[in-house]
Formats: sequence, C-alpha cells, structure tokens
Amino acid sequence: MADRVVLTIGTKKGVFVADAAKPRRRFTLRGPFGPGVPVYSTLIDTRGTPRLYASSCNPFFGMKVLRSTDMGKSFKETKSAPAFPKGDGRALANIWSLESGSGRRELWCGVEPASLFRSRDGGDSWEMVPGISNHKHARKWSPGNGGLCMHTIIRDGTRMHLGISTGGHYLSEDGGDTFTASNTGVGAGFAPDPYPEFGQCVHKIARHDDAPGRLYMQNHGGWADWTGPGGPRPDIGVLRSDDHGRSWRSIAKGLPSDFGFPIVVHPHDADTVYVVPLEPATRSCPGSAPAVWRSENGGDSWRRLARGLPKKQSYFTILRDAMDIDRLTTPALYFGTTTGQLWIGREGGEQWDCLFDSLPPIHNVKVAVV
Amino acid sequence: MAPAPTVTVYVPGPLRTYCGGAAELSISAHTVRAALDVLERHQCSLYRNVCDETGAVRQHLNVFVNSDNTRDLGGVDTTLRTGDVVTILPAVSGG
Repeated sequence: MADRVVLTIGTKKGVFVADAAKPRRRFTLRGPFGPGVPVYSTLIDTRGTPRLYASSCNPFFGMKVLRSTDMGKSFKETKSAPAFPKGDGRALANIWSLESGSGRRELWCGVEPASLFRSRDGGDSWEMVPGISNHKHARKWSPGNGGLCMHTIIRDGTRMHLGISTGGHYLSEDGGDTFTASNTGVGAGFAPDPYPEFGQCVHKIARHDDAPGRLYMQNHGGWADWTGPGGPRPDIGVLRSDDHGRSWRSIAKGLPSDFGFPIVVHPHDADTVYVVPLEPATRSCPGSAPAVWRSENGGDSWRRLARGLPKKQSYFTILRDAMDIDRLTTPALYFGTTTGQLWIGREGGEQWDCLFDSLPPIHNVKVAVV
Repeated sequence: MAPAPTVTVYVPGPLRTYCGGAAELSISAHTVRAALDVLERHQCSLYRNVCDETGAVRQHLNVFVNSDNTRDLGGVDTTLRTGDVVTILPAVSGG
C-alpha cells in the first residue's frame, strides 16, 4: 500500500530527496547526492521496486546518471551515461529529461545537444535514437537561453511526443522510430515567420491519460508587442491540442502573461491545468508577486492561486521541470525556485506553504506516492 | 621510432574511483595525445571523464606536462620525455 510522498529535487549543487507520510505535514530532507554538481532531471520510477534517477551534469568530468535503489538514502552512478557514437561529431553537454519506458527497465533520456537516448537495462547502457537525433532538422535547431535541449518526452502508446528548445514539438506514431515536426499553430517570436514548420522554443508539454489526443503546451510567449517583420503574435505562449499534437490553439486568454516554463495537469481531471505566468524580461511573476494559475475547463478561463505565497518583491523563476503534482485524492502541487525555495500548494494549489527555504537554485522537482 | 618514454599520469582525487583508486598511472607515450589513447584503451572509464565523445579534452579540464599547461605548449601534440609528469586538473578558479 502506498504510504509515502517522495520528492526528488534537482538543484545546482546536487539532488535532494524529501519524503513525508501521506498527510504531507512534515517532509524530511536528505542530500545533496552528487554534491556540488548540477542536476537538471530526475525520475521517480515506480515500476516494481521503486528506483530514483538523477542526471549529474558535471561541467568538468562530463555527464553521469545516478540511481538509487533505497528510496534516496544513497545514489550510485549507473555503468554508463548516454554518449554520442564515435564519429558523430557531437558531444553530450547536458541531460535534460529522464522518463520511464516499457517493461520494468526501459528508460528514455533527452539531452543537449537535442537528441534522444534509450536504455533497456535501467540506465546501465544507452543507445542513441536515430529517428530524432539524426532527423533532417536536427542540425538546424538552435539553442535557446538554456541550451539546445530535449526537455520533454511523453509516451502515449505507440505515439511519442518530444519537446525541444529550440526545435519545437516532434511526434512519432511508430514508437519512436520516425518523427515529424508537428507545430501547426505553435508560434515563434524570434523569427520573421510567426508560424514556422519547426524551430519553436517549446518550454514544456503535458498530457493526461483520460483525455486521448489532448496535450497542453507552455511555449515561449511574450511577443504580443512585437512590431518587426511578421507582426505581433499575441497569445502564442499557452496552447492546447486535441488531435495528438497535429495542431494547436491558444488558451492564453485570461492569463497575465503567456510566457512561462512549467505546465502541469491535475492527476484526476484532464480539464484542470496549471501554469506559472512570468514577465518575459525578468522571468519572475507579474508585479513580483508569485502565483500559480489554474484552469478547470481546459484553458477557457483561469484563476490565480497565491494564498500563502509572497505578495511582493519576489523575483525568482520557476523553471520548466520545477513544478509537479502528486496523485493523492486531493493532490498537492510542488514548485521549486531559482532562489532555492520549495513550496507546496495544498488542496490543488489553494494554500501554499514553504517546505524548505534555503536550498540551492532548483532546476527540477518530481513527486510520487510510493 | 624510438621506444615511447615512460611518464607518470597524475590522477586528481575525484577521478581515482574510475581507475581503481590509483593516484598515479605509469604509461608509455610519445605525446599527450598518445597518452590519452593509452587511457582510452586501458582506463576507459577514466578516459570518458577526461575526453568527450569527439576525443577532445573536456572544456573545463587542464592537462599539464610538469608545470606547464599543454594549452601553452603544443596542446595534445605536446611531446613527452621520460620522467615527465602529466597532470589532469579541473579548471577551478575564482572566488
């Protein structure tokens, strides 16, 4: 019977693990593991005996994948990390996403420069997935502010959705063998063509099992006032698809900004979705007053959730993988900030409390009930 | 070609776990590049920490021959002589 809420917290100085009994009153913290080394992605793999994974992105000695088999009491390096084949010409610069796959041991990993790797043995060996890594567009993608990263991997049966910054959304319908740029309706603000075939700065994509075909996307918005070639492009930042990502439409109306990074779907209601609008210039919440915004009707309208959060003078950013939601009956949201605070939004974000206020800058937060 | 000179490769603390705990490795190589090739063949875990997939020394590592940074010598083509000490160090600097 599941009885612990477990958080993995990837930071600039290693990965932390926090856990609590189901009422989530008090979390205990362990770490940092891989101390001093940035962690951009974590995974709580609940298939069979739970395993925790973290990318350890060492600027000196290269990329590692860390694995814990004792629920975050200790981590060890897997036998190898993703690496480009000899002669490819690219070198791994970062690991941005780790996702579980089929069976008990398959893992998928998105890296920088944007490419996809697959492990069939729980992370001990990796193979590059050529259908996207060697896609005809791959050498035309360009890095965004965070680097040229593959940050989103979503599996949906034989479909796979990838989010690449700056590359766009790519869809596979054959289990990951081949991919197609699938960005109809996804705008780009930094190119003369407002709706290119590919090259959009997608920030994050989310879906829900109960809504087949539906996807939510946080794209790089903030271009409503653009007056250059191609003209203004309002509301390109928060989008929804109802056809497996073949086409997208804006659901940004009602938000104070269409710029942001994370997007999260309620675990029990596919119509309920959360975003964190940010001012594009400062990448902090409008008015320096942090808030999560929730839609309960699939993006038709939005409501601000800020009870318990600072009311002013807060300039942190919540990065693309730094927000998650647990799966308890009344779920709690969690987000980590670039100023090292970890917040919990109880009752679906109605009431916010700071769990830890002096961690290193937070890149990544994942939660599971195990 | 003359027999390759024997040199000592000094391994920094964080990397010793990748070569059985050894602080020093004795290898024979005419150049730094050849020394790295030896590491790739016989200490592949250690090598992966020093060089990326393209074979380049990782950006934030420095390789010294005795007290000189190979960047100021001939890079990885720097010639080695018997008794030289090749030191691999992370480029930690600043406050």
